[in-house]
Amino acid sequence: MNAKVGLAVAAAVCALLPLVVPQYALTILIEALIFGLFAMSLDLMVGYCRLYSFGHAAAYGLGAYSAALILTHLGPPLPIGILIAVAVTIVVAIPIAWICTRSTGVSFAMLTLAFAQLGYAMLFRFRDITGGSDGIVGIPRPPGPFGITWFQGKTGYYYLVLGCLFGSYLLCRAIVRSPFGAVLSGIRENEAKTIALGYNTRAYKIATVVLAYGFGALAGALYAGFAGFASPELFFWLVSGRVLIMVVVGGAGTLIGPIIGGVFFVFLEHELSQITDLWPLIFGSIFIAFVMFAPEGIWGILSARFKADPQLPSAAGGKETSDAAA
Amino acid sequence: MDFLGFILAQCLSALSQAAILFFIACGLTLIFGIMRIVNFAHGAIFMLGAYVGVTTVAVTGSFLLSLFVAPIVVGAVGMAFERLFLRRLYGRRDGGAYLLLTFGLAVVLSELIRVIWGAQPLSAGIPDFLRGIVVILGQPFPLYRLFLIVLGIAAAIAVWQFLERTRAGLLIRAVSQNAEMVHALGTDIDLVRTGVFGFGCAMAALGGVLAAPLVTAFLGMGTTVVIDAFVIVIIGGMGSFLGSLIGSTLVAFVQVLGAYYFQDLALALMYFLMLTVLVIRPGGLLGKEE
Repeated sequence: MNAKVGLAVAAAVCALLPLVVPQYALTILIEALIFGLFAMSLDLMVGYCRLYSFGHAAAYGLGAYSAALILTHLGPPLPIGILIAVAVTIVVAIPIAWICTRSTGVSFAMLTLAFAQLGYAMLFRFRDITGGSDGIVGIPRPPGPFGITWFQGKTGYYYLVLGCLFGSYLLCRAIVRSPFGAVLSGIRENEAKTIALGYNTRAYKIATVVLAYGFGALAGALYAGFAGFASPELFFWLVSGRVLIMVVVGGAGTLIGPIIGGVFFVFLEHELSQITDLWPLIFGSIFIAFVMFAPEGIWGILSARFKADPQLPSAAGGKETSDAAA
Repeated sequence: MDFLGFILAQCLSALSQAAILFFIACGLTLIFGIMRIVNFAHGAIFMLGAYVGVTTVAVTGSFLLSLFVAPIVVGAVGMAFERLFLRRLYGRRDGGAYLLLTFGLAVVLSELIRVIWGAQPLSAGIPDFLRGIVVILGQPFPLYRLFLIVLGIAAAIAVWQFLERTRAGLLIRAVSQNAEMVHALGTDIDLVRTGVFGFGCAMAALGGVLAAPLVTAFLGMGTTVVIDAFVIVIIGGMGSFLGSLIGSTLVAFVQVLGAYYFQDLALALMYFLMLTVLVIRPGGLLGKEE
């Protein structure tokens, strides 16, 4: 199947879904797409630079809280508010990225984790602004610009999220296929060699972390606008762990895989939590099975079977990719 | 109020906290030293230790017995996990796989505990013979916390002597420096790995048993503690035993004094400490930069 046709079909199916699914399913659908976007943003780090962030909740939480504060206090049009939230997060992310990329591997994971937990702690420190453990409730969806109001309803919001997801996907795909993206893959496969070729890999890594925070913040801001509240749990490390699971199960280094992983898990969680309270157990077991036996993820399995898009190398293969690079 | 006595009581309180943190962090750092694995499941292991300990006390009525049963049971669980799961990933270049696998274990283990013991916290009383209050410089201080300090110091000395003086300790230090060379010299390093992983888990379980009378055994007791342990290990230097001892003490003092003097910043102080250390020494206080 041609990748372009596939993408167009996927877009068309997603665009038509609100016409056929009931309203309550639309809520889950919106949440699933937001998590898909969130997982994709992490994939920029994990899948392309092998930077395992265990603190990506920081991006989500920063986006959500910035959006919540901006929309509640300043009341700009919703899309503008979301964009400002993304910009704020990007500014905050620059020093974080600068510090975290001083180390690699496990230390990098721990540093990102520390920043996310620091953000979590700060929510309680500045209780009068952030609401402490209560969070921020009653976030409005102000209309505009130019009198546009369609995103205030649930179906409209679905299209807003869908648009953001597709736009971000196309943007990320362009990034990873650009010369810039080629350097990132170089870092993933063999950083020493990439440095020897004359690239300042640290700068590339900082840029990637900042980009990932930006897209993660977009997901967080969309969530805040949708749910109408932001709570400290958004910053907690279990969120970071969850989204990492989604990336790996979906297929790291493919962009589309993590989107599928995110959507898949939100649905699975919703369905399973209705029939059994053991779903986290199932969730964890599925994850362990993927890490052990299918590190290339759902999309890796699918694309190997159908040869959907041979241009996109899978990142998580571990041994195979390292052999290919050597 | 006697100011000196007050300060002393706070320091003792911090030291008893340090003892519990040390039990968790020292296993974590040894495991990292040998296997280059950050064990995300260490918090869940700690929690499992607490639950097994509380159950042992409930069944047998003996606190001392639980100090042996919990580490043995949990150590066996850890060794089984290493044999069945972690071992299959050693061939992979990708170090992230360990993070992911142990995170998966943490999720599964926490859920299993919920299924087995239920969602209600299990209260564990302080054993009778440790229930008293000691008056130090005019300040009352719980005997149990003194017991924790003594036990913590004893454990630190025991592990240190074990690492320095015994053949097994020598092997552990050698494997953490150059596993391939030790392997080439004819040592079964798989056995060392399994042993150290089990030992690290047993230490965490002991910490869990000891913490249970202070905080009760509850779901989620592992999720915060594991982050504290990470911070400690990073501050001290990953893989450094002495570093974990220093880190535990530093973090415990920051937590206890911070909670008293800077209530608003208490949560954040620990991370500030960690970031400061890392900016100055990226490898931690006693660690090597990798």
